[in-house]
Amino acid sequence: MTLPRNSPARLRTTLAAAAALATTAAAPLQAQSPAEGAPMFTPVTWERLVDAADEPHNWLMYNGTLDSQRFSRLDHIDRSNVADLELKWAHHIPRLDRAETTPLVVDGVMFITESPSNVVAVDAATGRPFWRYDHPLPDDLRICCGRNNRGVAILDELLFMSTLDAHLVAIDARTGSLVWNREVADHRGGYSKTAAPLVVKDRVVTGIAGGEFGIRGFLDAYDARTGELEWRTYTIPGPDHPDNLTWAGDSWRTGGSPTWITGSYDPELNLVYWGTGNPGPDWNGEVRPGDNLYSDSVLALDGDTGEMSWYFQFTPHDIHDWDAIQIPVLADIELAGEPRQAMLWANRNGFYYTLDRATGEFLLGEAFAHQTWAEGLDSNGRPIRRPNTSPSRTGTLVAPIAGGATNWWSPAYSPRTGLLYVNAFDGEALFFIRDEEYVEGDTYLGGGTETPLPIDHYHSAIRAIDPATGDVRWEFPMTPRSRAGVLATAGDLVFSASVDGYFYALDAESGAPLWQISLGGRVNASPMSYAVGGRQFVTMTIGNTLYTFGLDE
Amino acid sequence: MRRTTIAHLSGIAVLMAVAAVPWHAAAQAQESENPFTSRIDVRMGRQSYQAQCSTCHGINATGNPEVGGPDLSTGQFQRADGDPGLFRVIRDGIDGTAMIGLGADATEQSVWQIVTFLRSLAPAGVDTGGSAAAGRALFAGESDCARCHMVNGDGGRLGPDLSFVGDRRTPAELASDLVDPDAEVLPRWWTITATGPGGETVEGLRMSEDTFTYRIMDADENLRAFSKYGDWSYERTRASTMPGYAATLTVQERTDIVAYLYSLRRDR
Ligand code: HEC
Ligand code: HEC
Repeated sequence: MTLPRNSPARLRTTLAAAAALATTAAAPLQAQSPAEGAPMFTPVTWERLVDAADEPHNWLMYNGTLDSQRFSRLDHIDRSNVADLELKWAHHIPRLDRAETTPLVVDGVMFITESPSNVVAVDAATGRPFWRYDHPLPDDLRICCGRNNRGVAILDELLFMSTLDAHLVAIDARTGSLVWNREVADHRGGYSKTAAPLVVKDRVVTGIAGGEFGIRGFLDAYDARTGELEWRTYTIPGPDHPDNLTWAGDSWRTGGSPTWITGSYDPELNLVYWGTGNPGPDWNGEVRPGDNLYSDSVLALDGDTGEMSWYFQFTPHDIHDWDAIQIPVLADIELAGEPRQAMLWANRNGFYYTLDRATGEFLLGEAFAHQTWAEGLDSNGRPIRRPNTSPSRTGTLVAPIAGGATNWWSPAYSPRTGLLYVNAFDGEALFFIRDEEYVEGDTYLGGGTETPLPIDHYHSAIRAIDPATGDVRWEFPMTPRSRAGVLATAGDLVFSASVDGYFYALDAESGAPLWQISLGGRVNASPMSYAVGGRQFVTMTIGNTLYTFGLDE
Repeated sequence: MRRTTIAHLSGIAVLMAVAAVPWHAAAQAQESENPFTSRIDVRMGRQSYQAQCSTCHGINATGNPEVGGPDLSTGQFQRADGDPGLFRVIRDGIDGTAMIGLGADATEQSVWQIVTFLRSLAPAGVDTGGSAAAGRALFAGESDCARCHMVNGDGGRLGPDLSFVGDRRTPAELASDLVDPDAEVLPRWWTITATGPGGETVEGLRMSEDTFTYRIMDADENLRAFSKYGDWSYERTRASTMPGYAATLTVQERTDIVAYLYSLRRDR
């Protein structure tokens, strides 16, 4: 189905893409977008992905660019006119579940993933469909948290999508035809896939979910054209590796450490960065004494071989389900007068970290949300645990909650303000420990949690963190807790949403609310921005509907 | 602290243990009170139940006449006294019947969790020791409760509808509601005071609140809506607007009112 690399047809499209690209840099935005009836989609080369920031009218990967800043360079919508935003179109997702998608936009065509594991391609100006791909699923799925999917990745003319039955599929971007379908793991063992993959050169890098089922996590890279597995790096080292000793006995075999969100890539360092999830079982650490490497960590892997360059573990021996399943945000910042190649990370455990992304060195860390489990971080960034914070038979009250001070929803970084924008929650929960036998394919939790007070008792906010100090510069309070990601734009705006269905824009410098609309549904997604016909749009999925807003002509 | 499923379940467990006749001395349950009563235990208990018991007692524990496994969902057991008795039957079985039991190897946790699961199916009937008829008269009459509370369509709007309050509160919790209303106030019953640009104030019960707006009902039962970023400022108070009745009602009166409130349940 895919055109062979050297076919004349492929050559033509590639040349057309190159021509389109050549005009991109210089021409004003109006000129880039196809006129009515003009050809829309063009193949997305690896070079285009590396330079994705230079074509801000497109949104070429889950977090916008390889550095995952979720920052749009479009500035048509800004602080002066954002109050005039109006609804342009809406796309209804037929299957009712949590909609967690971030769509891609490639030269006027938008690719939206839907529950459970489907894709639809629409005209990004109108929301009207070109095609849809419905992935067939078995009845015996093993999923912890809803039938959801967060988005596709693209290379050339192929879209790559994770499916709930733990497959990776490649779909033709022009027609929606299935090109290849690879089983990543056997879903009956508790494995599933929900995250958007990340394209690195000519490979598709992709993770796995199943941290609540006692899986052994890994990160894979597949040949984009054939779907052949090129490398697999386990997030729990085997017995031939000294770090395996951070797991007692055989506990490493069922130690979880999944990789269920999208990572980032630094082309200069050739390093892939990926967060890992909780060790299994979640709340009973007694069966797995030790630090449990590399759970709750960020891994830096060689982009060609998957070999580990460094790791940093945020929560050694986690017993509260604080997955380090956040987006590695890569930014070059100034710290104590020195330019640093940094990685910015607000973690589910309540602490914000600035790391050196070349070496993994811990540069600074501060609590950014209410937490009661640690005195602070030591000079290596290791938490200093407080006593009596472990899950107990009758319940131990600890902050943050299992769902975290933040979670998988994307943060955003604006190079203009130098601030990281994070959705934060100051909750607390009772943590219980229970004995649980591991049974393949069943949940393996070792306890559970309960929130002692109704959710409205707790504070939730978008917080603007200064990565050079770890200080919170401002916050915008939300009632109740939100599950939305954040988008920052060159119009000095921050877009996000509240759990009960507001979509809103804040001033990126002060946090002042500038625009909001109540859309009513529950929010579980992150916003993005693109342009068609010279007009900027912002898109957000709320409830079962994807909404696109723009300014009046 | 606030009501939770835990509090509710353990409340029942405690009451059951107290109500139970001392069980047979041979029972070797190491604890007389179920220590595993949280929602997690209900979930894990349901899992074990479905794996090991549902073939004979039905998937919803309502019995399987073909095999002779009795209904376990009523909260009433012929062969088991209280939680410890139930523990013993589930672990040791019933001699001479198809009810084999999990055996001595089963962990205490797993047995107790099945007990918790079965209890969760039918909160047990409890004798409150009061007169529901007398309580009803007090409620509607001199003690003024009906001014704020509705029961089956009759009464005021300034407090929660109590038509089915017996389903969500145990007698012990109801007794404490009457003397210590501030102990746990759901956000719906917080008070919001809004102050307008000219300094005028409006106070009301917090009907709902979100990131940008809130809605209240004032003392005259008017519905009002406000914006958080407009001309009005606001303040929340988490205390209850219900008076405490420790001094104004006698113990007997309160016991009767609890009997009445506890009788307000949906038919099962
Ligand atoms: C092979 C069929 C079978 C299985 C499996 C089984 N039971 Fe029973 N169970 C019975 C029968 C039959 C009785 C009635 C015994 C009698 O004649 O009193 C019974 C009685 C009981 C009673 C006593 C009911 C009462 O009214 O006092 C309880 C409690 C009970 N079972 C719980 C369980 C639980 C919990 C499990 C799973 C761990 C289980 N049973 C598994 C067949 C079974
Ligand atoms: C001035 C209005 C007012 C009066 C009078 C009043 N209540 Fe209340 N009541 C409330 C409010 C408001 C709440 C909710 C806040 C709280 O839990 O304290 C409440 C809560 C309760 C609850 C807990 C209900 C639940 O859903 O959990 C019970 C039970 C109750 N009241 C019973 C009574 C009885 C019995 C009387 C009379 C003896 C009475 N109340 C008189 C306002 C009132």
